[in-house]
Amino acid sequence: MVSGTGVEGPAYERFHIEAKSADHVYNVPNKFDVHAKRLRLAAMLIHETIRYRFNRDIVLSRPCIYGVFSGRLGGFKPIKQRCVGCMRCVQEYPHIMQVNYGKKYRELGDLHWTPESVFTILYESSTGKIPVKGMGYKGSFSGEGWDGIWTDMSEIVRPTRDGVFGREYISTSADIGSKPFFLDFSSSDDVTGKKIRLLQSSLPIMLQPPESSKLDIGIAVKQSASKLGIYHMSRSPLNAYEEDPWYVPIVDKANLGKLNLDRAPMIEVDLFTSNRGLIGELRQRYPSKLISVRLKIDEAAEDEACRLFNDGADVIHLCADYHGFDYSKTHSHISHGLRRVHTRLVNEGIRDRITLIASGGITRAEHVPKAIICGADLVGLDTTLLIALQSEFKGETRDRTDCRLASRKIEVAWGAQRLINLMASWHDQLIEILSAMGMRDVRRLRGDVGRSMTDEELREQAFEGIDKLS
Amino acid sequence: MINNQAGINEKHSERIHHGLDILPSLKYGIPGGLGNKRWTGELLLATYLQASTGQPPSNGLEYRIGDSGGGFDVLSWRKPGDMPRLATEEVDLGIPLNNRAVGAKLSIPFPFYGGGMSFGSISLNFMIARARAAEKLGTYMSTGEGGYPEQLVPYKDHIITQVATGMFGVREETMQYAPILEFKYAQGAKPGLGGHLLADKVTSEVARMRESSMFTSLYSPFPFHSVYSVEDHKKHVDWIKTVNPRALVSVKVSTPTDVDMVAIGSYYAGANIIHIDGGYGGTGAAPEIAKKNIAMPIEYAIPKVHRYLVSEGVRDEIVLMASGGIRTADDIAKAIALGADGCVVATAEAVAVGCTHCGNCERGRGCQVGITRG
Ligand code: SF4
Ligand code: SF4
Repeated sequence: MVSGTGVEGPAYERFHIEAKSADHVYNVPNKFDVHAKRLRLAAMLIHETIRYRFNRDIVLSRPCIYGVFSGRLGGFKPIKQRCVGCMRCVQEYPHIMQVNYGKKYRELGDLHWTPESVFTILYESSTGKIPVKGMGYKGSFSGEGWDGIWTDMSEIVRPTRDGVFGREYISTSADIGSKPFFLDFSSSDDVTGKKIRLLQSSLPIMLQPPESSKLDIGIAVKQSASKLGIYHMSRSPLNAYEEDPWYVPIVDKANLGKLNLDRAPMIEVDLFTSNRGLIGELRQRYPSKLISVRLKIDEAAEDEACRLFNDGADVIHLCADYHGFDYSKTHSHISHGLRRVHTRLVNEGIRDRITLIASGGITRAEHVPKAIICGADLVGLDTTLLIALQSEFKGETRDRTDCRLASRKIEVAWGAQRLINLMASWHDQLIEILSAMGMRDVRRLRGDVGRSMTDEELREQAFEGIDKLS
Repeated sequence: MINNQAGINEKHSERIHHGLDILPSLKYGIPGGLGNKRWTGELLLATYLQASTGQPPSNGLEYRIGDSGGGFDVLSWRKPGDMPRLATEEVDLGIPLNNRAVGAKLSIPFPFYGGGMSFGSISLNFMIARARAAEKLGTYMSTGEGGYPEQLVPYKDHIITQVATGMFGVREETMQYAPILEFKYAQGAKPGLGGHLLADKVTSEVARMRESSMFTSLYSPFPFHSVYSVEDHKKHVDWIKTVNPRALVSVKVSTPTDVDMVAIGSYYAGANIIHIDGGYGGTGAAPEIAKKNIAMPIEYAIPKVHRYLVSEGVRDEIVLMASGGIRTADDIAKAIALGADGCVVATAEAVAVGCTHCGNCERGRGCQVGITRG
């Protein structure tokens, strides 16, 4: 009973992800490295002692409001981890103080993962909060792929401010599966033809830890997924997954016999390592189960997607490499292939009958709405999960078969909370993007390129008539 | 104790001023941790130097562009060819702020004025410094949405009263003081999102000014709850014109895909100035996702709006001001070349008094140089 209404049914509960602090357990390098030239510092102290006539308070008052020099030895032994790079010490004592980006910070990540993006994920997964900072944007004007896309906003015509603190509900849930265009009924009102087969995910996100991930990471992913009401996938034949309604096994010829697929809500066939024949085989064995097909994005992806639809796939999982670049000769960004496949399915009149998942290089919260604008229903997260769980970079992690992120030993409960926090932060950021557009349902955003602007198009239009320097 | 505190303040102010003077000389190089792609260390130092001397650097410091790899940073000037160089006194930098047949004929002696930075997010000292500079220069500065401290009243002829969605501190008399009233529909750094003043910034003074309770977070909603159409917007403009018939009306909006439509709507609603604020503008605090990803940069919005107003035959009747990432005199000139009449600057003013663009304004400790409040 919904209290006071006389209406039967469960009380309305607004979807909410409970974030709890889950601090880093492995050291995170300082972003800034502060250093004082000791001799000059000593000389300055003598000078100020005389100038301020031995007034201890004035002489010893230090420039840092973050307490970097509040230790017993002040600037001689700065508490480096407190430095936030405000630069006041350098402004006051440029001849003594040096503040640089720390060496270890600069070395974080790889060609795709910048130190800043690693820090962002660490912050989001430890706090569950949206990163908020003062002053304006500090980065590059635009960039390849997601960085060359801006999302739209609506100046006035929109629902009242929703956002994270809003009064109106914005849905972030996504459907996974296939829908027929219409239903056929028998004379006794039973559905006779193809039925709607849909799973619902509370976020347009699936978790898919890279294959090299250790067991404790797999369990943390499983626990967080079930708490969040989202799906996770792997090819691991873990017993722990057997009763898990949120687990989607990835199958190929090699592991088919090792997995119990009976309870799986959906099965993903890996076309990287299998051929299409397996789809038919599985369809025969499990006629009513959802079948997803993992497909690499290359020149043939659009044709292949249409064929897969005809083969009976309910979901197509389009994959780029871990840096978000496809497997075509030009190694284009995943956004291009995704748009091509989505548009082709629209033109063929079958887009609404199939689900598209996009994965590879989804490493920041803003990539989710941008991938959806390009045509995905959901995105898959891979290396991002490992960063949240403080895995270590051991080289370039681009190749899906060669993950150079070494997972560290973790407590499962801690790991699950970090992933829940990450999703809480991304959920809220997705809401910020949707609310700026005045959109109440993330499903409406799918393929809506009109709600985005690309650098290429805007530059062409705006700078038309301006000579290009060769 | 009080003397000590005064001595401590004096020591640090003196040191900071000394630093702002000496750092641009490059005697100690460019500090490695200073700046970012938009406001590079060089650009920050060059701005300190210009604020100290009133002259551009002569030691090779880059003072015109940043390192963002796009927008203003990749636009350069075509060589003038055979055009003769004009004598400085022959160049008129002034622009009118009202191109309509009716209303006050205000103008400014150079094509920029100070943007909104609100009481509560910035310190009173900085606010008054801006007002004094605006008065001296014969230009304007906007209050932002945090109200109108009485200390600003002596400068009222140079102060734009902002009317934003939270309506904080908007009173009849503060509207009547103003030569220009500015409706803020949206802000470039957080387009489509409201404002959020953190509870610990809502001191007794701020609470009094905003007519709210102390140490309670304040949200400016988005959008104006009374405006869902151009007709509603016109009613707003009419309301303002009733309260202060002599004021010019500026409409500050963000840069969505249909920014050109928004501009024309504002024209028909009776605005004198359409002020477009691009995505890379400043803020006291905003989600990083909003700053980087929502709405287009100002470089792309200016020509879009300019051309549309031209095609609608109204360009000469409305003043187009651009903001959101205008850092340098070069940026202003480029914005005008792209179609704006002038620009609105704010972050550059903060840098002039020592801001390092470090982004720590919202950390709750206050700005280390006293620009924003803790
Ligand atoms: S840069 Fe700022 S936070 Fe870091 S030590 Fe210097 S004064 Fe302190
Ligand atoms: S905290 Fe940093 S970015 Fe903010 S106003 Fe002060 S110096 Fe500028």
